[in-house]
Amino acid sequence: MSIFEKPYELKTPVFYRGEPIRVLGIESTSHTFGAGIVEFRDGKVYFLSNALSQYKPTRGGIHPRESFIHHVNVAPKIISKALDESGLDVKDIDVIAVSVGPGLGPCLRVGSSIARFLASYFNKPVAPVNHAVAHIEIGKLIGGLQDPVIIYVSGGNTMVLTQGNNKYRVIGETLDIPLGNLFDTFAREVGIAPPYVINGNHAVDVCAEWSSEFLPLPYTIKGCDLSFSGLLTAALRIARERLNDKEHLGKVCRSMRETAFNMLIEVAERALMLTNKKSFLLVGGVAANKVLREKMIAVAEQHGVEYYGTPPEVAGDNGLMIAYTGLLHYLYGKTTKPELVFVKQRYRLDEENYPWLP
Amino acid sequence: MASIEEYTFLSKGAEAEIYLVDFFGLKAVAKKRVSKTYRNPEFDKLFIRNRTKIEGRVLSELYVAGLRVPAVYLVDEEHGVILMEYIEGERLSNIIGKLGINDVLKISREIGKFAAQMHNLGIYHGDYTLANILLNDAGIVVIDFGLSGFSDDIEEYAIDLHLVVRSINATAPHIADVFVKQMLNEYKIHYVGGAEEVVHRMREISARGRYIDRELRKSIMREKYVA
Repeated sequence: MSIFEKPYELKTPVFYRGEPIRVLGIESTSHTFGAGIVEFRDGKVYFLSNALSQYKPTRGGIHPRESFIHHVNVAPKIISKALDESGLDVKDIDVIAVSVGPGLGPCLRVGSSIARFLASYFNKPVAPVNHAVAHIEIGKLIGGLQDPVIIYVSGGNTMVLTQGNNKYRVIGETLDIPLGNLFDTFAREVGIAPPYVINGNHAVDVCAEWSSEFLPLPYTIKGCDLSFSGLLTAALRIARERLNDKEHLGKVCRSMRETAFNMLIEVAERALMLTNKKSFLLVGGVAANKVLREKMIAVAEQHGVEYYGTPPEVAGDNGLMIAYTGLLHYLYGKTTKPELVFVKQRYRLDEENYPWLP
Repeated sequence: MASIEEYTFLSKGAEAEIYLVDFFGLKAVAKKRVSKTYRNPEFDKLFIRNRTKIEGRVLSELYVAGLRVPAVYLVDEEHGVILMEYIEGERLSNIIGKLGINDVLKISREIGKFAAQMHNLGIYHGDYTLANILLNDAGIVVIDFGLSGFSDDIEEYAIDLHLVVRSINATAPHIADVFVKQMLNEYKIHYVGGAEEVVHRMREISARGRYIDRELRKSIMREKYVA
């Protein structure tokens, strides 16, 4: 079922009973330029459109400048597409939301410049959104979960968190590279990527099918924190012994994936025990991974708790999640004037209060 | 192994279940690591066996050295079971906020001293938080060595200290400063290597993580760590 079919009940208390509010969200933190539109009407959130374009490197990883050029080129098209699909005109938009960090400087500046321009030209307020918060909020909305243990995994983040006192609390996070980065770097170094994702499957998942064997690799958990860099080094060292042997590479891929996911899940389980929450929410780009989803279902079953994983359409970076979080900003009075919107390349989600959190 | 007929379920953790058993007249606790359906079966077996083995070894070494940990009665690596002494007491994480300042300071020194003595033996705890420290009339008892191990890398020692600091900051922020100061002082007295180095590493660990302000990180980390 498409996520656009039905509206979502906004479960956080809101004292707004006026005209419908429409928010345009602009996302440009990394490889994706996206624009999405949500409407808030009678206590319900309607997804109107979600347009995006991804910069896909032909060799190597994301080059910030190349990604920036991509964003500049596609931005007008993507925003018009989002508006067309929703059947709205820019003038119908009430709030411009933009993700201001964390992310790559040049890329972030594309989104924020456009947001500042639109807001000052059409005289609208701007909602400066934290990209990580947006990933989590859209997951909570669609999943209908209010107070889960949140597992946020993407190319730039790996953390397990909960909420309390109007804040996000990081229970455990990666001390070096994120999980998505581990997969991407490994795939690139052994020559199976780019392209990193083929038909929704990551190169590492494709490669893992080449073998069914398992080989123990470094498993590093420090308290509730994770470390993937040792795993990467070990996996690369072993993979390079026989790079042309498909089965050998498959074995390393499968083992690395298994180890990394198990580490993440162990931390999630520990967080669940520590905080006594009753549900798991999986968000972020890696939430689209089928193997991780299967594992999460198994864990939730074993502990007898609820589980929800963000659907692939909104798991990766997109403008819709920015628009929805921008709506929350607006409803709780956290919007600002365009001249006060700045990008923040380093912007942790636990450094600020979010009034809609429990 | 003689089977134990009578046991009562006590609690469930992330990776193990805890049962209360009568072991030839001794009140004992059985910690059973459970198989996880999400793990590769081969890995699961290896994982449970390794963790059980290490936990058993660490506990007995510490006990023999005279540190206050539960005594190990029996280790069954194959089934992932450790049978150990039952310890009466309250988890520090539950009560630290209600204690008087003198008690808190005494406890913080004990925690520092325990860490130093443990590290002197080349052992790290790996999950040294207030939830894993019990308090009874005789003082503190450290439990749950599920993530512990043997290492002479000061990184592991620094992590132990970092975890206590984070844990006190989360449970009782109003007393965290004095607590940490006292704990580190005591640690420096008892740790035989270069305690300054461990404490410095601890500060560096707290500035890891992603998207930490660059200036803040620079002010804490030495050159080789600044990214």
